[in-house]
Amino acid sequence: MFRKMTFGQYTHKNSIMHSLDPRIKIISVIILSFAAFLIDSYPRMIIFSIFILLLTILSELKLSVLLRSLKPFFFIFLFILSMYILFSRNELANGILAIWKFVLLISIASVLTFTTTITNLITAIEKLLKPLEIIRINTRNFSLLIALTIRFIPALFLYADRIKDAQNARLGSMKKPKQIKIFAIRLLDRIFSSASTVSDALVSRDYNEKRVSYFNPIKLKLKDYLHLLMLIIIVFFIVSKTTHL
Amino acid sequence: MIEIRNLSFGYEDELILKNISMEIKEGSYTAIIGANGSGKTTLAKHLNSLLLPAKGSVIVDGIDGKKDQGSVRKKVGFVFQNPEDQLIYSIVEEDIAFGLENLGIETKEMKIRVKNIMKGLGIENLAKKNVNMLSLGQKQLVALAGILVMNPEYIVFDEPTTMLDSKNKKNIMGIIEKLNKKDKIGIILVTNIIGDIKDSGNVVILNDGKVIFNDKKSKLNKNILKKAGLDV
Repeated sequence: MFRKMTFGQYTHKNSIMHSLDPRIKIISVIILSFAAFLIDSYPRMIIFSIFILLLTILSELKLSVLLRSLKPFFFIFLFILSMYILFSRNELANGILAIWKFVLLISIASVLTFTTTITNLITAIEKLLKPLEIIRINTRNFSLLIALTIRFIPALFLYADRIKDAQNARLGSMKKPKQIKIFAIRLLDRIFSSASTVSDALVSRDYNEKRVSYFNPIKLKLKDYLHLLMLIIIVFFIVSKTTHL
Repeated sequence: MIEIRNLSFGYEDELILKNISMEIKEGSYTAIIGANGSGKTTLAKHLNSLLLPAKGSVIVDGIDGKKDQGSVRKKVGFVFQNPEDQLIYSIVEEDIAFGLENLGIETKEMKIRVKNIMKGLGIENLAKKNVNMLSLGQKQLVALAGILVMNPEYIVFDEPTTMLDSKNKKNIMGIIEKLNKKDKIGIILVTNIIGDIKDSGNVVILNDGKVIFNDKKSKLNKNILKKAGLDV
């Protein structure tokens, strides 16, 4: 299961979404996420989903890849649904809506991570958080932290997969609590060991808290502003209570 | 030249390196060998100032690692045993440029240097690839590119072939030899595989944190290797 984990992995394409400024994409993700939570009716949700699907098509993200991104969250969806079935069956429709919103949120995040390289993401976060430097928050450290998390998500699942395979090879079973404990300890050990090497690698490559040059500098263009404007108008139209949906 | 003078280092009560003194000349190829737990990696990390001596000193071309770690790191690159954890960014060319961004190199020059290094190592086709999708051998080459692009004068390779298959092992050893012979980069190869030291000029053997041999490879004999707990 873990080997097919695709969430958080950039794929090089020449799509419209790939060419947008990463700052605009981050702001768009924030707007779309808020919009997803504001929507409270099925008709609006259908229109909003079509819009997200359109963004997915524009990013040249294959539907199969998107579905694979959703797969690891399947049990969370199942858990939410079962909670509604068990404790508030009369609000099952709301439960379905909640899961639907989660699916859309993951899809929105996938569009961002599939179309934006980690470096661009870091640069964008660094630039967007620049005002925080007034209160002495180092934006480069903060953005690198996020970048490393995204970079190591697939690696983390790979480690988990290897440990699970090693346990299974010696007739271990993840159904037994003791085996789960061993699995968790081994995984934590591997994570700490990795973190130590990553930290050494950062130091050995002269990492410093102030970056003055960029391999891929980012620059806002007219099309970026137009994209943001269009997005705000469309989202406002879908979410607005004035539209009778 | 890297001068190690009376270097001692330990964790809590355990002393790992015991009063080590040795010199590594510019452009030389030195192999540091020893059994597991002999202190090889700990010694190697001192060369790049990843660790600082508890006693003694490590001087790289006149720069004391205790006083100026940044300058030492610019001179001595470090390739780790597991490339998996050495790659910071997700895209190959961006990861290679990571060190250059830290050095404040201009974008235009960065692009040229990254392109040239990738061409030199024959990995231009990987430029836009996600590092998570690469094989271990390819990851090792990307990790090496990330160090080479910073133009170090010395490179420490910490057991670079341990995780590789024979084909990739041969490739990486060939590249290391070329870096030394053609580009005159000082190589410090840390290994416990005797077969890997065939291209080296000098050999340093560590045993229980002490140097028990430091001479030309031709003077190496079976008794010393046996004493160090290494397979002959």
